[in-house]
Amino acid sequence: MQVLSYSGSQLVDLCSALLLLTCFAIVAQRRLSACVDLFALQSAFLVVTAALVAYLTGNQHIYIAAVLTGVIKVIIIPRVLKKVIDRLNVKRELVMYVNVPAGLLICGGLVMLAFFISEPIIPLGFLLTRDSLAIALAIVLIGFFTMIARQKAVTQLVGFLVLENGLFLGATAATYGMPLIVELGVFFDVLIATLIAGIYTNRLQDAFDSVDTNRLTVLKE
Amino acid sequence: MIEVAALVAAPLFAGGLSLVVHRSALLHAINLTSMAILVTAEIMITSAVLKDGPFTALEQLVYLDALSTFILFIIGAVGLACSFYMRSYMDEQVARGIVAPTRLNMFFFLFHMFLLAMVVATIVNSVGVQWVAIEATTLATTFLIAFWRRRESLEAGWKYLILCSVGISLALFGVVLLYYSSLHALSDVGQGLNVTQLLIVADRLNPHVLKLAFIFILVGYGTKVGLVPMHSWLPDAYTEAPAPVVAMLAGVLEVVSVYAILRMRVIVDHAVSFAFTGGLLALFGFASLVTAAFFILIQHNYKRLFAYSSIEHMGIAMIGFGVGGALGTFGGLFHLLNHAFAKSMAFFAAGNIHRRFHTVEIGQVQGVATAQPWTAMALMISGLALSALPPFSSFASEVQVATALASQGVPEMWFTNTEGMVTIALSDQFGRLAVTAVFLMSAILAFGGLMYRITGMVWGTPPEGILREETWTVGHLPVILLAGALVVFSVFLPPPIRQLLEQATTLLVIQ
Repeated sequence: MQVLSYSGSQLVDLCSALLLLTCFAIVAQRRLSACVDLFALQSAFLVVTAALVAYLTGNQHIYIAAVLTGVIKVIIIPRVLKKVIDRLNVKRELVMYVNVPAGLLICGGLVMLAFFISEPIIPLGFLLTRDSLAIALAIVLIGFFTMIARQKAVTQLVGFLVLENGLFLGATAATYGMPLIVELGVFFDVLIATLIAGIYTNRLQDAFDSVDTNRLTVLKE
Repeated sequence: MIEVAALVAAPLFAGGLSLVVHRSALLHAINLTSMAILVTAEIMITSAVLKDGPFTALEQLVYLDALSTFILFIIGAVGLACSFYMRSYMDEQVARGIVAPTRLNMFFFLFHMFLLAMVVATIVNSVGVQWVAIEATTLATTFLIAFWRRRESLEAGWKYLILCSVGISLALFGVVLLYYSSLHALSDVGQGLNVTQLLIVADRLNPHVLKLAFIFILVGYGTKVGLVPMHSWLPDAYTEAPAPVVAMLAGVLEVVSVYAILRMRVIVDHAVSFAFTGGLLALFGFASLVTAAFFILIQHNYKRLFAYSSIEHMGIAMIGFGVGGALGTFGGLFHLLNHAFAKSMAFFAAGNIHRRFHTVEIGQVQGVATAQPWTAMALMISGLALSALPPFSSFASEVQVATALASQGVPEMWFTNTEGMVTIALSDQFGRLAVTAVFLMSAILAFGGLMYRITGMVWGTPPEGILREETWTVGHLPVILLAGALVVFSVFLPPPIRQLLEQATTLLVIQ
């Protein structure tokens, strides 16, 4: 049993680390559609992590959350985003507020910050998923950074979804999943938010002939 | 329990019906009926809570106490006022061709969903479901803000969607942390996010985790309240959204978000300390109050002017909660009510002026008193109430907050220079004096800025080509009622409201 929980903990850590790795890949990627693919890959890792936690702990309701993640974040949302990108006339991030190497360095700093913040509270957690909370916080921060550093509406949206993945990893790993009703609600909200943002991107394209959010400067002090 | 079910069912069914109905008169009838049901249910709940104390319903899903009932009262009052105002406002928008008649039912559908989400966020027991409902308010209002579909409104809507979604995601992280801390204290983890359960075990929760959770939640929901520095979406959204929507955003949504923070605060207070949460609330409160006071001075757009005044007043309420004690908390809650009434009135007036003058520039609006005497009166009264002058009840609540601040100061706030030589604690005599001075100076600045702009709009002669008469519509009714309430509440609080406020204060103040 001791051996199982030890290797199980290693596996969960490995999966969480893969999630973090895909974050870096997203920050380094300039092509919009590749960003979406990477997000789908990250969500797939999330499904594996959740299923692993569900199997190792015997919490049945995490399976439901894992299946929902698979359907919504691996299949539906990437499809919606791909459709949105097809309508756009620019498929790449041309100008970035922060270039790729600097962005990666900042993300490295964010990971250290996340481990520093969560250090005092990690010992409280379950043995199995102890380090995942810090990784989850790191993913949240990197998602945040992506939203700030990119100017295309689609990449900002991907940043938001990465942030949401981090939150979900935190909820699964740190607490073995939130009560089911809450998780269902969160999934619903994320799905609707993505659909709305997709519709918005189309309207922005029509009204401004661009989805550069730095063109949104009509309103200011 | 029928009244609790009615509370949720009324906006739900009204929203569903609105999708299939296309006639404007019918849409308004559905809206007013659902609001009437909502208000009736609220009255029944108020009397139940006042008689028997807090209760849970629907298998622990719903938890109602004096605080949530008080918030429900604000939702009902402002919602009803908006419904009457919409009767004249939306019809005119359709008649003038600004809104296509086919899109009117979409407006009502989203309005009802917005209302539903706010009601759910107020009555629900689990803080997790509350998060879901508050995020749902963001989603429902995004299209309402961008309803005019101009470039500016799309920009405002996008900003609102992104900023609030991200902000509120941080609040979700806070909720996860709260749940994390409750796992060790609770036997039944399925109930681990219920306020009723958390309050029982609150003093056994891990203080370190809760501190982190509270910071995340304060920043997250603070984004929706519009606290500085997370406020940048607010002036844009308030300028671009149709007037009834802004009245709901400013009057109700801010209050519901504050309520979510307060709920969390009570739990954290038990485990950590009152001074920790109070200090943070007061910090954000002062940041909002001072920043907004200066921004009020430089506005040349009257909707933005009122938007910054919203930030200012939320700051004042936050200072009240931060300072705490019976007086500060009571003042803060009462200020939420007064601000909701005064601000929805101000935006009704702003909507009327916009319809007549077709501009949001203060410099191009003159002589409202000649062109629209009723609206001028509403604008003047709301301006005076928002400046917290007597005889309006906002004067009473602001004085309560100021008195609490002067007598107690800001808890757990001190500044030390690098050598540790000079320490200023904001709760000693000098510190109290200083913070009270800052508070009063900001309030005076805001008063000056607001009244200077408003008098400039009210007096003078209207520009050429502006119609100089105002016919009575049903939209004027809520304005008069709100103005009356503001005056009456300053000298006489109706007993049910007073009891609700007093009981809610006891819930929030921990001895």
